[in-house]
Amino acid sequence: MISALATNMFAQAPQRSFWMPIEASKFAREMDFVFYFITWLSVFFFVLIVGIMIFFMVRYRRRSHIANVPCFTHNTPLELTWTIIPLIMVIAIFYVGMKGYVKLRQPPIGAYTVNVTGAKWQWSFSYPDNEGITDDFLYVPVDRPVRLVMKSDDVLHSMFIPVFRVKQDVVPGRYTDLWFEATEPGEYDVICAEYCGTGHSTMTTRVFVLSEEDFELKMAEIRLRFEKAPDQDLPWMAFTYLYSRCMSCHSLDGTDGIGPSWRGLWDRTKKGETVFTDGSTLSELTGAGKMFATPEDYLYRSILYPQEKIRENYPGSMPTFKGLLRERQIDAIVHLLKGLDDYVDANGTWIGPVPEPPAENTDGAKE
Amino acid sequence: MSAIDTQPQTPVVVDNYLNHTKGVLSWALTLDHKRIGVMYTISVLLSFFLGGMFALLVRTELIAPGEGFLTQDQYNQAFSLHGAIMVFLVIIPSVPAALGNFIMPIMLGAKDVAFPRLNLFSYYLWVFGAIFFVVAMFTGSLDTGWTFYTPYSIDTDSAMSGVIPALTGAFILGFSSIFTGMNFIVTIHRLRPPGMTWFRMPLFLWAIYATALIQVLATPVLGITLLLLIMERAFGIGIFNPALGGDPVLYQHFFWFYSHPAVYIMILPGMGIISELIAVHSHKHICGYKFIAFSSVAIAIFGFLVWGHHMFVSGQSPLLNAIFSAITFSVSIPSAVKMFNWLATLYKGSISLNTPMLYALSFMFIFAIGGLTGLHLGTLATDVHLHDTYFVVAHFHYVMMGSALIAMIGGLHHWWPKITGKMYNENLGRLGCILVFVGFNTTFLPQFVLGSQGMPRRYHDYSNFLPEQVELYATYHMWSSIGSYIMAVGFFLTAGYLIHSLFAGRRAPANPWGGRSLEWQCASPPPYDNFAVTPSVGDCYDFSVLEWDEKEQGYRINEEARRKQAYPGEVADRSGAEKLDGD
Repeated sequence: MISALATNMFAQAPQRSFWMPIEASKFAREMDFVFYFITWLSVFFFVLIVGIMIFFMVRYRRRSHIANVPCFTHNTPLELTWTIIPLIMVIAIFYVGMKGYVKLRQPPIGAYTVNVTGAKWQWSFSYPDNEGITDDFLYVPVDRPVRLVMKSDDVLHSMFIPVFRVKQDVVPGRYTDLWFEATEPGEYDVICAEYCGTGHSTMTTRVFVLSEEDFELKMAEIRLRFEKAPDQDLPWMAFTYLYSRCMSCHSLDGTDGIGPSWRGLWDRTKKGETVFTDGSTLSELTGAGKMFATPEDYLYRSILYPQEKIRENYPGSMPTFKGLLRERQIDAIVHLLKGLDDYVDANGTWIGPVPEPPAENTDGAKE
Repeated sequence: MSAIDTQPQTPVVVDNYLNHTKGVLSWALTLDHKRIGVMYTISVLLSFFLGGMFALLVRTELIAPGEGFLTQDQYNQAFSLHGAIMVFLVIIPSVPAALGNFIMPIMLGAKDVAFPRLNLFSYYLWVFGAIFFVVAMFTGSLDTGWTFYTPYSIDTDSAMSGVIPALTGAFILGFSSIFTGMNFIVTIHRLRPPGMTWFRMPLFLWAIYATALIQVLATPVLGITLLLLIMERAFGIGIFNPALGGDPVLYQHFFWFYSHPAVYIMILPGMGIISELIAVHSHKHICGYKFIAFSSVAIAIFGFLVWGHHMFVSGQSPLLNAIFSAITFSVSIPSAVKMFNWLATLYKGSISLNTPMLYALSFMFIFAIGGLTGLHLGTLATDVHLHDTYFVVAHFHYVMMGSALIAMIGGLHHWWPKITGKMYNENLGRLGCILVFVGFNTTFLPQFVLGSQGMPRRYHDYSNFLPEQVELYATYHMWSSIGSYIMAVGFFLTAGYLIHSLFAGRRAPANPWGGRSLEWQCASPPPYDNFAVTPSVGDCYDFSVLEWDEKEQGYRINEEARRKQAYPGEVADRSGAEKLDGD
């Protein structure tokens, strides 16, 4: 089935072999060479050992109760032979394996960087060279080195892309990275390979290897996703695509974080009850000709200029999102905040309307 | 236990360790290494049954893609408990504590181990450890995998609450293992009878000795690590938890510093058994005795220096990875040396294809695959792809189950007549072995391909992948599950005829196989204090002095031939010969 599909899409698409999935990166070819080198050596030795064993089993099977044929009990040259030959063999294996690995650990300078966050139980990818847009799928350009810089929000995860033959644990409390240069356009599995709890086996997504033009189109599509979306979808989109960048400070269940929880925030804002570090309250500052024209204006400015007014009892460590979020994205967040109780329950699960069809359904390497 | 107590009377009632004293207390408070060995064997086999049931749950869940009959959490518990039970309760104590306890002192020519009370204490520590595992199973369960990786295991919100009982259990089991190791080291050093020089010891004893060294040196590290983990989970001391400034990768170093050597705790005694089985059932002197003996010690030493190969993609530095990879390959050499020497032992032997030998030959077949696929995983470039996939699962099952446990089962059949005084049905034995062998390979050979095709381990469901991958994985998973059922049938058959033999088995002769080491010179089952007369210590692999006794249906030592061999010619230097013979 795969072969038929692949031939339709790409001329001379690579095939899966008995042992290995498709080779879709430069490293995959090198790795497969090492793999087959070891495998055939192993097959040779296995056939040798088991062949001799079976031959002896048959040839020397017991025929009478006593048949202790005196025979050599040790033979030093023989012992040395079967010590030294395997030794040379494993040195050779170590060498080829090491050579491939050294390359794998040295991302070329200027590789296209994608930031990856692993959290129970999904991956999220953000593209710093493309306005920091984020998505649940990984899009990479073909024939161009890509470096994934990865962090974990909770426990250990492991980024595994079989067709690229790369894997790297994602460790909370540090950054890890890996790189690859994809060679075959297509859609492939991305897997979490380190056990991470209940939903471990659902922590999978896809990587789309795209031609340079398709990649740019895709990036633009994601960038403009908010512009194209109908208004009623904005809260869902903010929740799905943007909240992951807010969640480390702002909870949805009312618990205090580094910043105030989003739960109840709109209620307070609407009533103007918010108190700032300089002692002023929001109601004093809201109205025509004042600092904030409307309560919505306060939310808007808090995202763009968070240092202007800092809420009492909070460190005020929020960075500005000026230039990082587009107007319509800020708009989406404001809409989400205003209707939070209707959209998201206390567990952080979306309970509001979901756009039809889901925005990601038509994504693909090629249409 | 009572089954053995109430043996039907054999024609001649001989005093042996089974009927020497009677009653439950005479077993529960026994200081006899043989009875302790029997209690260990029964306990280990019961745990094996329990661990095997969890394995069948896992395999049945994976037989087809999609939601099976287990939920995600149930599946995670099943594989965690399968792993933890099999490693800590079954494989680690299976050969040293169970078979080793019974056989080692007799093989050595000693009346008991050096510290019989400590030996009994080890057994009860094992029981307490096992109880904690059962507690973990029933109070909140365990879903961390047997490796307890941080920070998942210390996250009280996500990991289930059986973590602390399970850790406590593993901690206690560690001490059981340490005490057994200490006991065996002292026994082998101090209780060798005159004439039993180091290089006359059967290779099983060398293997047990090397194992004991690892048990004593490595297990304390596990103890401390598990304690730290308990402290971290209970009090948040901040050593492994990144949120408190700890390092989760540090835990992996600590854990594998024990758990890699522990792999050799599992396989070395198995290799020791195979050396015995191959020589005895070929009636041929073992080839390259010293190479095999020293290769055990070499594996024990190198085994301490390779733990980092479990962590090639953990974020460990590339330099460390390179060093660990290089040292890892050095372990393969002593293993290869053993394999070739076993092969050379078969050469021109008189190979009996009975049950123990079939297990030994299965071991060689399976260990060849397990060892050779270790090369893929020790190699840096290929391990990056294969790590945490089914390739690894297949590899360590080939080594830990297909090799260590198969060797244990083979050893159990080899020494069954000695332990119970009964012969089992040989034909059923062979059939059981063939079923286990076929089932095992059907289960785990497909998993190599699954893994190299990218199927990750510890996945409850594999329907989220691309359709063509799901299709491929489903085929191999189905075969793997079918294999596990075949294997289960083999094991149930084995349990059946072994239990049957206790009641209806033919009385075992002292030496049914024609073994030359000391345990075959005492009666079956052995008398309470092992040897009625001081055994003669000779070359334990010289089978030329044995002769077949048709009446006994067993072998006996031809005293004349032995004397002739010990004192060649009348003019031989008597003092030199005396030294050689040693009695």
